[in-house]
Amino acid sequence: MIKSSELDPNFKYEIAKEPGGENIMKCFNCTGCTVGCPVTEIDKSYNPRKILRKALLGMRKEVLSDDSMWYCASCYICFERCPQDVKITEVIGAIRAIAQREAKAGKIKIGNNKPLFDNLFIDSVKSNGKWYEAGVSGTFMLKTKGIGGAIGYAPMGLELFKKGKLSILPHKIKGTNEIKRIFEEVEKK
Amino acid sequence: MKLAYYPGCTLHGTAREYDASTKAVCKASGIDLVEIEDWNCCGALEAIFDKELSMGLSARNNFKAQKTGLDLVIPCSICSHNLSRADTAMKKDEAFRTKIERALGEKYNGVKIKHLLDVMVNDIGTEAISGKFTRSLKGIKAVAYYGCLLVRPSEVSKFDNPENPMSLDNLIRSTGADCLPFTQKTKCCGGNLLMSKQDYAFILTKKLFDEAKAIGANCIVVACPMCHMLLDGQQTMIEKAHNTVIDMPVLYFTQLIGLAMGLGEKELELDKNMVPASKLIGSIGKEAKVEVKAAGKAQGAEAAE
Repeated sequence: MIKSSELDPNFKYEIAKEPGGENIMKCFNCTGCTVGCPVTEIDKSYNPRKILRKALLGMRKEVLSDDSMWYCASCYICFERCPQDVKITEVIGAIRAIAQREAKAGKIKIGNNKPLFDNLFIDSVKSNGKWYEAGVSGTFMLKTKGIGGAIGYAPMGLELFKKGKLSILPHKIKGTNEIKRIFEEVEKK
Repeated sequence: MKLAYYPGCTLHGTAREYDASTKAVCKASGIDLVEIEDWNCCGALEAIFDKELSMGLSARNNFKAQKTGLDLVIPCSICSHNLSRADTAMKKDEAFRTKIERALGEKYNGVKIKHLLDVMVNDIGTEAISGKFTRSLKGIKAVAYYGCLLVRPSEVSKFDNPENPMSLDNLIRSTGADCLPFTQKTKCCGGNLLMSKQDYAFILTKKLFDEAKAIGANCIVVACPMCHMLLDGQQTMIEKAHNTVIDMPVLYFTQLIGLAMGLGEKELELDKNMVPASKLIGSIGKEAKVEVKAAGKAQGAEAAE
């Protein structure tokens, strides 16, 4: 049941202020996003229409702690087909940004591993300028699956290494100071 | 034709055969590639929760390309999406441009960015490329797999139909290979979920194989290193997870047209694909006999009626 006293009418404005979330209020809930979604096809608990509807109603906590939000594969089918140009893939990105901030502040818990991987990836780009595949994947495996899980991936890693496809050390670009400045500028908001 | 070249991280790693075959095919097509200096990661889809960061990282590469005075070609669908989007934002969003120009201390004028497939089929032209072919690839029965970001969103990628693209189909056919109608051609492989929701990624990829096999394809042709990572790199893992045999070679389109150009397998780094392509290459030119037999059968059936 939805309790109107628990709704946060400002949630939609909060999303609209986030880069990528600007068009959320154009949504008229036609379900076009959801019928074409390849993830919904295999798991009905991921329903972009419901996420948007709940967000517009102001069900802030429910939306931000909904694990299915992390199932979006960023395939852009809904973005392409949306008759209202809501730019759903990017709205999901905006909601993820708010959820990560809330989690950092200790207000919600995120059970999904997607933000962990994304942040390891971005951190490696921040320090090297390029993504450090072996390091990021290895750390992710260790953190999520433990040593046993990580060892399970060793044969594939070895094969990639033998084919000259995986570098043990990160590649650092010369302009890492420029990368740092880009991070600083966009973090200012 | 001289173009600035942004390979992106994967082409210097897991997708090295895409880099090698891109260079080989471009050389054979008269395209001179100039790799941009000291390029960085575009943020891939991992920065989707921070749109400005994603576009800021991408924009630095556009500045590097701008210095060459050349148009920019990108073989990776994700990089091409990100850098194109950043170019648009740098031109239209003044607040964003101010931030990035301040970070890099330079003025941005804009760069023309194209995916490699777009350059091949539209700038060089499918017909002109096929003029370089020295052997028919008859015997290969391919499906063209476009995946996601190569053709959508259409406000970023404008060169083909986002729902039913045909440019890769036509290019494949021009080699003499069959290209079968494939309803999954723009369905997602789940690449972005590979680490966080692997079971879903594998279900999504397996659906592509299921249809490709059902319609009798003997290879899948792609134009994106992420798609290739799932379809080729993870194929044995998917076989294990679903207790099945897939055994489907997955070639980059540059490897396929390289073969038609008579380029060597070493040069195209076909030995770097995880699923061996040797059986597929062996099938080139051998299909004719079977077809004659099948045609004979069909004629016989007609006569019987």
